[in-house]
Amino acid sequence: MFSTEDTIVAIATPPGRGGLGVVRISGAQAEEVTSKIIERQTALTPRRATLTRVGTKSQHGETTDFVPLDQVMVTLFCAPASYTGDDVVEISAHGSPLLLRAIVKAAVEAGARLAEPGEFTLRAVLNGRTDLVQAEAVGDLINAVTPGQARVAFDQLQGTLTGRIGEINDAIFDLIVRLEASLDFPEEGYHFVTDVSAEEEVHGILTRVETLLAEGRRGRIIREGRQAVILGRPNVGKSSIFNALCGFDRAIVSEKPGTTRDLLSEVVALEELSVTLVDTAGIRGSSDPVETEGVTRARGAKHVADVILLVLDRSECLSDEDRWLLEETSASPRLVVASKTDLKPEWSNAALGDISGAVVDVSVVTDGGLIDLRRRLTELVAGVDNLQEMPQVTNIRHINLLELARKGLIRAVQVAQAKESEEFILADLQIARSALEEISGKRTPEDVLARIFEQFCIGK
Amino acid sequence: MATFDVIVIGAGHAGSEAAYAATQLGCHVGLCTLSPDTVAHMPCNPAIGGTAKGHLVREIDALGGLMGRAIDETGIQFKLLNRSRGPAVWSPRAQADKLQYSNWVRAKLREIPAIEWLLGRAERIVVEGGCVTGIELDDGKRYHCRALVITTGTFLNGLIHVGRESWPAGRAGEPASHHLAESLKKLGFTWGRLKTGTPPRISRASIDFSVLREEKGDKEPVAFSFMTDKIAPQRAVCHLTHTNKQVHALVSEHLSESPIFNGQIKGIGPRYCPSLEDKIVRFPDRDRHQIFLEPEGIDVPEVYVNGFSTSLPRPVQEKLVHALPGLESAEILRYGYAVEYDFIQPTELGRTLESRRVPGLFLAGQLNGTSGYEEAAAQGLMAGLNAARQSKRLSEVTFGREEAYIGVLIDDLITKGCLEPYRMFTSRAEYRLLLRIDNADLRLTPRGRAAGTVSNARWERFVARRQRFKNNLLLLNAAKVRQPSGQRVPAVQVLRQSQQTLAALQKEGAIQLETATETEPNEKNLDLISVQTEVKYEGYLKRQRLEIERTIRQEGRRIPYGFRFEDVPGLTAEVTERLRQVNPETLGQALRVPGVTPAAVAIISFCLERPGFRREAEISKIGEGNRLPQGT
Repeated sequence: MFSTEDTIVAIATPPGRGGLGVVRISGAQAEEVTSKIIERQTALTPRRATLTRVGTKSQHGETTDFVPLDQVMVTLFCAPASYTGDDVVEISAHGSPLLLRAIVKAAVEAGARLAEPGEFTLRAVLNGRTDLVQAEAVGDLINAVTPGQARVAFDQLQGTLTGRIGEINDAIFDLIVRLEASLDFPEEGYHFVTDVSAEEEVHGILTRVETLLAEGRRGRIIREGRQAVILGRPNVGKSSIFNALCGFDRAIVSEKPGTTRDLLSEVVALEELSVTLVDTAGIRGSSDPVETEGVTRARGAKHVADVILLVLDRSECLSDEDRWLLEETSASPRLVVASKTDLKPEWSNAALGDISGAVVDVSVVTDGGLIDLRRRLTELVAGVDNLQEMPQVTNIRHINLLELARKGLIRAVQVAQAKESEEFILADLQIARSALEEISGKRTPEDVLARIFEQFCIGK
Repeated sequence: MATFDVIVIGAGHAGSEAAYAATQLGCHVGLCTLSPDTVAHMPCNPAIGGTAKGHLVREIDALGGLMGRAIDETGIQFKLLNRSRGPAVWSPRAQADKLQYSNWVRAKLREIPAIEWLLGRAERIVVEGGCVTGIELDDGKRYHCRALVITTGTFLNGLIHVGRESWPAGRAGEPASHHLAESLKKLGFTWGRLKTGTPPRISRASIDFSVLREEKGDKEPVAFSFMTDKIAPQRAVCHLTHTNKQVHALVSEHLSESPIFNGQIKGIGPRYCPSLEDKIVRFPDRDRHQIFLEPEGIDVPEVYVNGFSTSLPRPVQEKLVHALPGLESAEILRYGYAVEYDFIQPTELGRTLESRRVPGLFLAGQLNGTSGYEEAAAQGLMAGLNAARQSKRLSEVTFGREEAYIGVLIDDLITKGCLEPYRMFTSRAEYRLLLRIDNADLRLTPRGRAAGTVSNARWERFVARRQRFKNNLLLLNAAKVRQPSGQRVPAVQVLRQSQQTLAALQKEGAIQLETATETEPNEKNLDLISVQTEVKYEGYLKRQRLEIERTIRQEGRRIPYGFRFEDVPGLTAEVTERLRQVNPETLGQALRVPGVTPAAVAIISFCLERPGFRREAEISKIGEGNRLPQGT
């Protein structure tokens, strides 16, 4: 359960580009968080819009460096006279989704937590500020806090982030079980865990969390920013386009179809926008396309990808698979890319029917059309910003929770090194565990006891 | 016809505490028991305390209960468990002289004129207008009461098994109670069936102790009660032996004769206290198990074979006992047995242990699915205290999970119910570092004083002790000590080093603190330990306190009794059913009901605000006529 006590942040205006966008911060620390991300030094006057700049602050000795993001209007609403009934700060900025996202990120770094879907509404209800909201609005919450379809799809395409977090949490749980057993059953004649092994085990778990975080920061596992997925049948040049967009040879390119077996991803900068580009294995031909694994992938991609790059080979006739992919991705934000335009074309845009206007011609041999592709992709990605209260942001949430777990584990290692007894190690391990359990599902003290009784013969 | 403020049925560990607590509030109490001989009886192992259970005893004592003083007076071997670990998990345990223990409690109750002993078997609960008004005994006599506490332990439809034989009975040869069970069931309570067992008792004279390892108690015993100055010298030793291949082979050979394995027993036994049969079947890889031989008293010839609980037939028990080292020619005085009994699902109860179904009826102890004398006594105290307060039209007194193990115990029971006999463990307490034996009085004695269970003598002693604690905290925070380098550094900084203790600093003469005198070693020790812990582990304690502050608002959001969970949109049928059974009193409790998700609680909290739900809830509250408003 997320807390209803801490301070949360999210974009409050509807998704997409607009003239203005509002970031809302709600909770007891709303003012404090805001003070860390705006230039103005003095306190805000409640209910009065104040002109200042928003940005990131960093401390260097006595001096504070401020890197501005935008000129904004900031308004403080004190509890209980606010939208949620908590202290609320509304930051009104220019409407770029990228900018709003950067402000949210700064607020998170300053101590706020990313709001769950529907959470502002939930707080308003808890504080008695709203009484006629539809139950369905809170119903959205169910989909977000229980591992819903979105997360399953995410895992299918993106590897097994939650799987790996789950494994780490299992290791913590297993250690917790033995530490608890030594406290509750000191006279059973068991040595459940020794000082040395406890320290080593916590250290091992910490290393796994840090590895995962490092991978996350590089964008390989945890998705950072919007996600663009490249789809297409084998050997149409997906990896070449992936590499061209990444700016270096990240994927192995080969003449042989089906070279890219695993998913590759890389964070690329398109103007100031960071996009995770995902290269997929080709959608292999089959007499019944519905049977192929590629179909599953493409279906997964629809759930997860913010935009899809569908690559079609200009130098070969359109196949049934191509047509099927066109049909399957037609409802998603999509860019159709015609590749290998340096070769003799076998079909014209008219063959695609209605969508012909959105086709970009590219040749990685001549670099022709690449600038156009980058521009079109940037536009498309910027237009589908979903940072507002949507499940897509679980990635940032995951990183924050992993960071929290890491802090707990670091302390647990120190406590174990100092040869303090099990209950103190446990106090810090529990912090790591409860952070990870927000992702991988909760366990109760009964589960701990059940595991003890399963593994050890207790009862003299 | 006699009218009582409170009637208590049963005078075991729960019943004794319930009756005693009620008299402390000035109630006229009827104590109904079959025989005064079995007051505070120990039908299972002759010991009080142990991990987490020792904490419960300290808390009972801090609230003015009997158990701590009784065991301090009649214990014959004391041991502080987890001594090598931090103060939060130190737990006292003591071997009791079970006869003296029972005598001590009986004498204590007998000297209270406000207790009237109703000797006989309670047969029926009298309910009028939906509320309890009295009881009827087997001789047809009726007694009126404002509140009733039932603490009948394993007596409800008790069925004893030894081998293929079984016969109805409570524990230790007392008759079972069928009519009372029927009377309770007729009121509509959800009930279940549990099982527990005991080992054979051996004649002490027939044991060859020379081949066994002695297990001694602590040289400087730590008392349970805050009122105890000094524990009498240790008078008993226990002995350790082990099962062997021969025992394991015998059990395997006769498994089909064990009522646990041949389908004769339907009730569920505790996993933490497995029978010998269970141990050998479930853990075939272990080639031996520990067996402790515990004296049942100084002048009691029986020795309790701890770890050897079995319900195999008598001839097999003979062979098993004789296969144990040191017991080759041992004489069995009583055979081990298993007992099945009915219990009421505690989800029927509220935080005061009053049943929601029948106002004025409180249930406590093993009847609620718990095991252990300490768990029973803790419930007895809370039920007796609240029954007394209800009869006097005073507000209820309850404890949160962050305040006491007693709070954890009751919250677990009423929220989760029991699938097996419930035992307390420190791992159940999420705020374990705060719920220590060294601060049980600081946490609870003022609450007990306000509730009416703390005597003047205890209060005076506590006030002095609390003043010393506060003074010492100031002294310690201000003190500086000289380091070997000659530098003077804050004492707290030195104390926070991993292996450093206050005693060591005192020995060096670096710090002078206020303590009780040498003639009160327990209190003196307490003075040092409680201030040391507060300072040494301040960081941890602060963090847990912060966590409590974060959860308290949710905990404080009350759900009115009768709230229509079935009308909440979006809840699954299963979640709705669980919530209807448990009737959580707060949102925090709702979240702890098994299977209830955070999203479900969010929706409930949303519905709590809607007028429609509130109205329904108030209408269905009419049945609770004699319930009192909160905080009066």
